[in-house]
Amino acid sequence: MMQDFRSQIDGKRPDWLGIGVVGLVLAGVGVLIVNIFVNMQAAGMTPGYGFLAQTAGFDLSESLIPYTAGDSYGRVIVAGLLNTILLAVVSLMLATFVGVMMGLVSVTPSPAGRMVATLYVELFRNLPKILVLLVLYVLAVRGLPPSREALSLGPVYLSNRSIYIPTIVPDAGQVWLLAPLAASALAAVWWVRRARRIKAATGRESPVAIIVIALLLCVPLGFALLADVPLEISAPSFERFDYEGGARLSVQFLVVMLTLGLYHGAQIAEVVRGGILAVPSGQVEGALALGLSRGHVTRFVVLPQVLRIVIPPMINQFVNLIKNTSIAIAVGYSDLMSVSGTIINQTFRPLEMMLVTMGLYLGLSLIASTLMNRLNDTLRSRGARRGS
Amino acid sequence: MIPASPPPARQNDVWQRWAGTPVTALISALSAAFAIWAAWAVLDWAVLSATLPHRPMQACAETDGACWRFYVEKSRFMLFGTYPYAEHWRPALVSLLLLALSGIVGLRITGRLRVIGPRVLVALWILVIPLAFALMGGGWAGLAPVDMSRWNGLPVLLILSVIAIALAFPLGVMLAVLRYQDRWPVLRRAATVYIEAVRGVPMVTVLFVGVFVLPLTLPPDTRISPVLATLIALVFFHASYFAEDVRGGLQSLPDTQAEAAHSLGLNWGQAMRLVLLPQALSRSLPALVNSVIGAYKDTSLVVVLGIHDLTSTARMAFSEPGWGQYALEAYAFVGIWFLLSCAFLSWVGRELHRGQSGRNH
Repeated sequence: MMQDFRSQIDGKRPDWLGIGVVGLVLAGVGVLIVNIFVNMQAAGMTPGYGFLAQTAGFDLSESLIPYTAGDSYGRVIVAGLLNTILLAVVSLMLATFVGVMMGLVSVTPSPAGRMVATLYVELFRNLPKILVLLVLYVLAVRGLPPSREALSLGPVYLSNRSIYIPTIVPDAGQVWLLAPLAASALAAVWWVRRARRIKAATGRESPVAIIVIALLLCVPLGFALLADVPLEISAPSFERFDYEGGARLSVQFLVVMLTLGLYHGAQIAEVVRGGILAVPSGQVEGALALGLSRGHVTRFVVLPQVLRIVIPPMINQFVNLIKNTSIAIAVGYSDLMSVSGTIINQTFRPLEMMLVTMGLYLGLSLIASTLMNRLNDTLRSRGARRGS
Repeated sequence: MIPASPPPARQNDVWQRWAGTPVTALISALSAAFAIWAAWAVLDWAVLSATLPHRPMQACAETDGACWRFYVEKSRFMLFGTYPYAEHWRPALVSLLLLALSGIVGLRITGRLRVIGPRVLVALWILVIPLAFALMGGGWAGLAPVDMSRWNGLPVLLILSVIAIALAFPLGVMLAVLRYQDRWPVLRRAATVYIEAVRGVPMVTVLFVGVFVLPLTLPPDTRISPVLATLIALVFFHASYFAEDVRGGLQSLPDTQAEAAHSLGLNWGQAMRLVLLPQALSRSLPALVNSVIGAYKDTSLVVVLGIHDLTSTARMAFSEPGWGQYALEAYAFVGIWFLLSCAFLSWVGRELHRGQSGRNH
């Protein structure tokens, strides 16, 4: 920090220069806003958010909430925001999976594995994401069969317009599943605490992961079978013109997800590789010399140190990925950005719409980074308490 | 002195590396299979089942491979778009000028071309930026005027990346200094809010503000072309990223630098200009090069606004009826351009990393 010594001697004075400059900038912005009012008035409009209640009149390719063209602009924006969140969550999982896998491959001794990992990372780091998106889109639209002859991957069908997946038909009776789910979650928490207590007292390990998974899966499933909770699976099947049943994701969604997964996967792979290489080899050698097995070295010595290095840049990547979902507008997936682009074209209210859109994106990235930073802090403080 | 002889090569070294453990063996097998498949697919597409450039366009329809004739027919269109055909030397010259200047800056910051001082560089930028606009626009010395809506392809990509980055850099340095200092707390707060707000929104939204909101803010009866509006939006967007890189450099300086400068009698401005900023800038260069690569690649996002940069003219090249099957050829052209230009930028970044670690240790 560059200390200002004079102000320390003189004591605190109001920052007149700062107030003046910021005032000037704000005055300039004020002139621009007055111009907006004048221009919009000339076109017979007044700035305001009344239009959000008007009928949107355009269809969405997909929506998580019921939506028809007769709904309001406000509802379209909500539908777009939910589509953005869905896209972000799914791409984030894909990018993390791809990135961690390729990061691990890039530090294996296998020369072929390293070469493929390096090529992958370099290719996607040196190409614009929009180009990757456009190429994948062309490949998908051209390479995949029309829906009449859709590719079948088990119960999933893939055509050049949509991907059809089986779903569970929602039913009011499924609410009853919450009770056994809550009970088994409580039991799982109790088991984890018990295992930790036993470990602290005696040093003995007790199985945790298997028990927790078994509790969370088997108890609700058993309950569903015994109490006859309706869990009907709706599988897509080809009817006269299109697939019926199940859920439908557009090929646009698939392509944007793949693009973001591959693009950010390459950057995450670099982060993971850097994190692994940053652990001094002496740590591994020391742990081996102490007689730890290979698995234990990875679990208790390498992984905690890698995570500590890797998590902050990963949070950065996740926030970037959320912002980058906005490239979906290039292929017309109905995310927040393309919905607001359409609304701007229809209503010609760019100022109001951009304020809403930017505010929502800002909120999303702030919420994501706050949540993940808090998680990171908790992990760290727990690590510090354990003394690792 | 006789150098120590290297240890004898272990017989099973190769085997160990390729298949020391079952997992390694699996990775090797999968990777090798994938690499061979990918290499074969590329070779097959680009060479084996490709149609060579001397064959007519009709021959391309019969095979699945690349159509090299496409490049003969469309390269010039992808580079310069709908710019008047007879005047193509002007966008070509502008592209060359901007590329040469970027190359010179890149070489200069890796420590080559020492003869060109920083002042000369700044003077060159101040000369080339207006010259690029004047050459593209015409309307003087007998050059035919060309409307901005017909500026297409490579020169637009370069104007929106190189010039935007060049203009954003001084703004970014200013923002970084404002956020770093604590002499004017109001300015510091304002810079912080600006930087964080811009970094929290996607670039596409900022571009939308440039193209749709900015024209509304002008007095009635004034117009601004989308290219210029995008350029302004990009300058304000990139500046906040550069500001964070430079601030990182400023924060890495030890406090004693500022203290020593003050005890020598330098005032705030002199200390900043002569002592702190030069060191901070050279420390933040690797991060800056990374941001520049990102900014350069992201420039192609202007496609969504209907501005015709290289990616967009490539798309136009196969959008005409009858050309639809050559999309991959067109995108390959853009991809190779970006791979080559980013390779140069990455090389600059690696040189800087090497130079820095060499200097610090």
